[in-house]
Amino acid sequence: MVSYTPSSEDVRLYEIAVLFPYPMNQKEEAELHKSVEEIFTEAGAKLIFKDAWGRRGLAYKIGGFNEGTFIIYYQEMEPKRLEEIEEQLRILKGVLRHMVVKPPKHYQIAPYADSYEKWKEHSRLEEERKNQEREDKKLKQVVEKAKRSQTRDKKPVEDAKPAVTGEALTQQLEKLISDKDLEI
Amino acid sequence: MSARRQNQQQRTDPRLKKCSFCDKETLYIDYKDYPALKPYIDYFGNIRKRYYTGICLRHQKEIKNAVERARFMAMLAYRK
Repeated sequence: MVSYTPSSEDVRLYEIAVLFPYPMNQKEEAELHKSVEEIFTEAGAKLIFKDAWGRRGLAYKIGGFNEGTFIIYYQEMEPKRLEEIEEQLRILKGVLRHMVVKPPKHYQIAPYADSYEKWKEHSRLEEERKNQEREDKKLKQVVEKAKRSQTRDKKPVEDAKPAVTGEALTQQLEKLISDKDLEI
Repeated sequence: MSARRQNQQQRTDPRLKKCSFCDKETLYIDYKDYPALKPYIDYFGNIRKRYYTGICLRHQKEIKNAVERARFMAMLAYRK
């Protein structure tokens, strides 16, 4: 976190975001960054903070590129020199997009690259945890269902057991028939 | 009658919803802060209505600004 206070009344803070294409020669990239920074120095801007984001996927294709790198410059300069910078950035080859934003009063300059990565990692872990929980729940349900079906299958067998079969049955029947006290 | 009413989809009273940005006393919504903007964008990339999210008008306007900036810089999609 960097808090900014203007050094004089003629200047103010500008936040300039520049988007570069991602698969690029290291040499070309360095040159491009240099030329962008030259534009700022020519306009008499003073660099307050620079936030370089790494490789990032783009939401839509720009100039045939699916990935890009952002650099956010926080520059202190005179408002009348802004037009010049915008024009130069527009003309410069290799810059996919650029945008100048006037941050509000008492704006806290913070690097967003790290926080984004952290958030991404956190959300990924959260997703994994949720998936794991869902799978565990499913597994539990399947096991319980199997248990229930097993007990259901067993029950009728238990009922049939006490029935008498074979010789014991004939013996018992004969005993009943031969019983003289019984009147049928 | 009451059972029938219970079966119907329950929707929270819009008057009871609170603006999450007002609770945190945010003064400025940054277009670079993707995690902060994400809950206010639907699957297709549209900005969610204030009626559903419960945000106050002031912060809704700031979100609109931030989302449009992020869309221009290809951090968010115009249409998915």
